[in-house]
Amino acid sequence: MGLFVWLEHTRFAIWLHESESVFAFPMVLLLHTIGMGLLVGLATVVNLRLLGCIPRVRLAPMLKLFPLMWLGFWINAVTGVLLLIADATNKLANPVFYIKLVFVALGVLSIIAIRSHVFRDPSLDNAPISSNGKALAAASLVLWATAITAGRLMAYLGPRHAAWMIEILGRHS
Amino acid sequence: MNLAHLHLLLNHFPSVGTVIGLGLFVGALVTKNDGLERTSMLVLLLIAVSALPVYFSGNAALEAIQSRPDVSKQFVARHQDVALLALALMGITGALAWLGLWQFRRNARPAIWNVYGILLFSLLTVALMTVTATMGGEIRHDEIRPAQDVSQAEGTVSAMGAYVLAHGWVWPTCETLHFMGLCLLLGTVLTVDLRMLGIMKSVPLADLRGLIPWALAGFSINLVTGMVFFIATPTQYTQNIAFYWKIVFMLLAGVNVLYLTFDESWALPEGVDSPLTAKIIAGAGIFLWLGVIFFGRMLPFIGNSF
Repeated sequence: MGLFVWLEHTRFAIWLHESESVFAFPMVLLLHTIGMGLLVGLATVVNLRLLGCIPRVRLAPMLKLFPLMWLGFWINAVTGVLLLIADATNKLANPVFYIKLVFVALGVLSIIAIRSHVFRDPSLDNAPISSNGKALAAASLVLWATAITAGRLMAYLGPRHAAWMIEILGRHS
Repeated sequence: MNLAHLHLLLNHFPSVGTVIGLGLFVGALVTKNDGLERTSMLVLLLIAVSALPVYFSGNAALEAIQSRPDVSKQFVARHQDVALLALALMGITGALAWLGLWQFRRNARPAIWNVYGILLFSLLTVALMTVTATMGGEIRHDEIRPAQDVSQAEGTVSAMGAYVLAHGWVWPTCETLHFMGLCLLLGTVLTVDLRMLGIMKSVPLADLRGLIPWALAGFSINLVTGMVFFIATPTQYTQNIAFYWKIVFMLLAGVNVLYLTFDESWALPEGVDSPLTAKIIAGAGIFLWLGVIFFGRMLPFIGNSF
């Protein structure tokens, strides 16, 4: 905890947070969004396939999608740390932040489990998906939906942001 | 030329276009002409796409003229209410037309429920568009305006916007759904485009066709939630250059996806590489959707929205 608060006061973190440049905070946020699209978007495609929504696609070639998911994951791990040190005191005081981290971790674990259980099955593409595989896919969809919800709500349920949001909405009504 | 002018220019496309699209569609059904039926579906789809900027420019036009004494606020509100309903019906017509084109490619014929759906919704749209256009005309032409006044000063659209701002849960909920729609849309489009670029070559492209309706679902979620944002706080978008770019990129990306509905490279069997044209289209598709995300994310930073 102390480490992040110290990092928050480094010149780099202050630049990230305060700079008017679109290469500071806005660009990190943009990359975080694109990383989410890659990771969760492609995981959703694999999960839809496991649940039988696009039955004609063979599963084995979909292994090629996993490196792109991991690319999305690493983009978001790096940009996530940057977003944290730009605003550490607030985020660390926000319970929703920890909920998000837990569900991101569970979501990643669900992808790893699908990769190592469903895709390792020697009868892949020759037998119907096991009910375990389907349950994993459904769980993965729910976990990611929850992670996204928690991520979005961090901006509203945090100690500082709630007041900020009320002020902005008040200005528009 | 200002944005009011743009609205006056653009508004003829959906009002006249739906009539033409419906006429072609009925003509195709009567003569049992598949080629004409596909063309009419394409017309209806493009008209639906064009209706979106018309609606947005209407808010900009309102901001340009609302201070004038001869503009009736009631008539503007009524026009706006009917316009939103017409836009929703046009959107459903467009989605059904797109699904029809997709079914033409997949099953050689659109499903019968879809044909009736297009017929019903395009008829309703033509009716609503006519009312919208008439009411829009009455805003500035008091010679054709009926004498009786409208009792309700605030329209339904304004009331909906006020509801969103008064209830704190609506905005975050729509934002969350907007992000989920983004994932669904980007994931599906990316998978198809990556196959065209040569990743997962052992999957015949035709097998991935089943993904396209999921892309439409993601797009629809984001269209509806995006409209909630626009209706609640129109000025933070009509005065935001990033919003205009986002719409431009979205329309171009839409045309790009449309190519997937027509292109013959869908017939590509397992293991065969796509032709160069298809690869360029696929690359452009990825670029355009990332552009939509870029300008969406930049709305608060380049522009002034939150």
